Amino acid sequence: MTPRKRVAITGMGLVTPVGNDVATTWDAVLHGKSGGAPISVFDASGFLVHIAAEVKNFDAAAALGDRKLMKLTNRSHRFALAAAEQALQDAGIRPTEADGTRWGLTVGAGMMGVDFADLAGTQVHSAADGELHSDLLLSDGPANDPVAFCRSNCAAGLSLLTRRFGIRGYTSAVHTACASGGQALGTALKLIRRGAADRVLAGGYDSMISPVGISGFCLLSALSPDNATPQRASRPFDVSRNGFLLGEGAGFLVLEEWQAARKRGARIYAELAGDGNSLSSYRITDSPPDGDGPIQAMRQALWSAGATPDDIDYLNAHGTSTGMNDRSESAAVKAVFAPDVERLSVSSTKSTMGHLIAAAGAVEVAICALAIRDGLMPINANLRDVDPDCDLNFVRDAPRRQRVRMAMSNSFGFGGSNSCIVLRHPDETDAALEGRPQ
Amino acid sequence: MSAERIVVTATGAVCSGGKNPGDIFAAVRDGKSSIAPIQQWDTTGWPTTTAGEIAGFNAREMVEDRKLHKLIRRTDLLGLYAAGKAIDGAGLAAHRDTLAADAAAIFNDRTGVYVGSGSGNFENQYDYFPLLAAAGGSLPTFGRELANTVNPMWLLRSLPNNVLGHIGIKYGLKGSNACITSHSCSGSLAVIEGMEALRNGEADRIVAVGHDAPIEPQMVLYYYRLGLIASEALLPFDVARDGSVFGEGAGALVMETEASAAARNAKVLGYVLGGGEVSEATGLLAIRDDGDGLARAIGAALDNAGIGAADVGMIVAHGNGTRASDASEAAAIRTVFGGKAPPVTAFKWSFGHLIAAAGILEATLALEALAQRVVPGVAALKQLDPECAGIPVSAQPQVPRSKVALILCRGFGGTDAALLVSAA
Repeated sequence: MTPRKRVAITGMGLVTPVGNDVATTWDAVLHGKSGGAPISVFDASGFLVHIAAEVKNFDAAAALGDRKLMKLTNRSHRFALAAAEQALQDAGIRPTEADGTRWGLTVGAGMMGVDFADLAGTQVHSAADGELHSDLLLSDGPANDPVAFCRSNCAAGLSLLTRRFGIRGYTSAVHTACASGGQALGTALKLIRRGAADRVLAGGYDSMISPVGISGFCLLSALSPDNATPQRASRPFDVSRNGFLLGEGAGFLVLEEWQAARKRGARIYAELAGDGNSLSSYRITDSPPDGDGPIQAMRQALWSAGATPDDIDYLNAHGTSTGMNDRSESAAVKAVFAPDVERLSVSSTKSTMGHLIAAAGAVEVAICALAIRDGLMPINANLRDVDPDCDLNFVRDAPRRQRVRMAMSNSFGFGGSNSCIVLRHPDETDAALEGRPQ
Repeated sequence: MSAERIVVTATGAVCSGGKNPGDIFAAVRDGKSSIAPIQQWDTTGWPTTTAGEIAGFNAREMVEDRKLHKLIRRTDLLGLYAAGKAIDGAGLAAHRDTLAADAAAIFNDRTGVYVGSGSGNFENQYDYFPLLAAAGGSLPTFGRELANTVNPMWLLRSLPNNVLGHIGIKYGLKGSNACITSHSCSGSLAVIEGMEALRNGEADRIVAVGHDAPIEPQMVLYYYRLGLIASEALLPFDVARDGSVFGEGAGALVMETEASAAARNAKVLGYVLGGGEVSEATGLLAIRDDGDGLARAIGAALDNAGIGAADVGMIVAHGNGTRASDASEAAAIRTVFGGKAPPVTAFKWSFGHLIAAAGILEATLALEALAQRVVPGVAALKQLDPECAGIPVSAQPQVPRSKVALILCRGFGGTDAALLVSAA
């Protein structure tokens, strides 16, 4: 067998509630500067929860550089285009006419839906009494507007990105709720390994901070109702946690086959080394208390990376700050890392950024790559009283300075999909490739 | 390229043409169309009124568990039906239940699920119409009245990945998985990613399913305004074609390593040989005239399968009936096969375009065609468009020239997918 191809992370772009680029986001995450605040994008005062972690001061027109695109994009698409542009600039390479067919695109995309203004417009025109009158749709504004349709389509983000950047190879959008971003990166890893693409732009994007998006989570009592203290609302693994803080944004990574990246002298953040995914097959919203499901995803990711639990120094936990998730994840981590779970440093950066849903996995993998680059692990903010059921070795109060040989990122979604991604320090990868002791 | 053979041990399908691949294929082969006037809403005054709707749709026939009906929607019922038929047909759960606890747990962990999902419907959001009407434009009122008006399960009922989650829960499967929401290529991508998960050792067997239910007023209206819907009938490659017609349904395959199938003495229906997918980078709606993307997808699939164009015995074209897609599809086939293309057919004229389910449902039918050694005629084809000349498509049945079928699929975003399957 020929040795498995390795995959390098050579560029990253982030648009998050704590920064509209990688450097600003990383600084905020390291020190736990929360992105939580009262919702400003619509009047949420009547909702049970009226806080979120919004992307702030985002100049969409400047980021897109093309006014026509404003009509064709919804909020999440704009985040995606901006983060992807950052990632390609950072990598110092982009698809050309000659090699665009060897570039792939994988995205974790949010749920399909029309913009709230369009939905409200259709209600006024075609469902004045609350029920749809299909005959009225024929003269309904939004329901006859092809541009509104384009924004709503599940392939909208994918098509905007491939067209903008000239990506003409394998293209796929995945949606496994909160696991989407991680699964998109896992798909990209496998594309390069099997030779279906030489380079892949991979990431996730989402924005559910809208009346319908907030409603969906409010109805499930999934969000923290701590409206008076938005910056404290997300406190994964704390005994007092009471739900997640909804975030939004995008994260994109440029991935390249390792030798090709080295050959062109690319700066490599880390090796994207392993991908695991599993189904909990328990309940649609809940994780099993014993960690069954997430355990298999983590073990599969280690297998995929050719690693053992001892190799992992940092875990960026899914850590949503819901009672059930954090307990289940802790049980899974203990099962996988026993008996030395104590030596594993853990934090959930959702404590700072909130939960970016379909973008979360991709953004958090980028955070892991930065932890490897800087030898610095970000804190789990807002952790005062650790839940006794979640007694892991958390990075608290201050970032932890320690060389990170390998890092792991967990993402678990509604529907029971679990994604786990493993990253490796580039020196470790080079040493392995050269047969040197690591 | 990997040459490990991936076997197919069962299929499942549902659409207006029937409730299993055999019946649906028989209707196509016999020249029958199930495109009919839309029943789900009153289409009086509508510019387009036909689709491939499942007549007498019965939720309990699709999924027996009534409690589940409150948690999912029509598209999910279709996906769960087809997947269930395939899982039962392959005897997966029955075999697992004969195993000791440890072996059964490994079986579950090594069984994956790959889904191509239509990603949702406009109707999902109509559940907010009563609340919007009551709030009369006031968002604070909307927020305050939310819990009194909207089903608390709204978000869960609307998840694009419901079929994935509920297959897992019902059958206890816990392996490698994905839910792909790439418009019409979703089902084909589920087959490709599932096949690759078997090749790279992530799983021993995979349930792949694609499902969609696009026949709803707002969806039909948008496609019509975009010029994509036929005035009456879907006429692939015909000079008079003027658009596509929606269908609804699902297709499913159980794919396994040879060792996994042999361990249960499972009957082998056929093989998945390979697949390829590309983008044309033309934006959401536009496609290239020259068929470049589709030709590259076919080339990628042939490379992936380790076979040549001459090995292909029949082609199931996308044949969606739009002017641009059929003409560029013919161009792609000419590019790849020159003057030596094998018999070409298309199925959508019979039961409509199933969008996310199209590629995988048509793959199940291609296996039927190979087993019966017949390439069905395209009964709706009256006069081949000169733009589509040079491809051996016919209203009359033809004979496949080998055991290998190529299934083509095209979706929004300029995406093109190609699958290669073969008979047992």
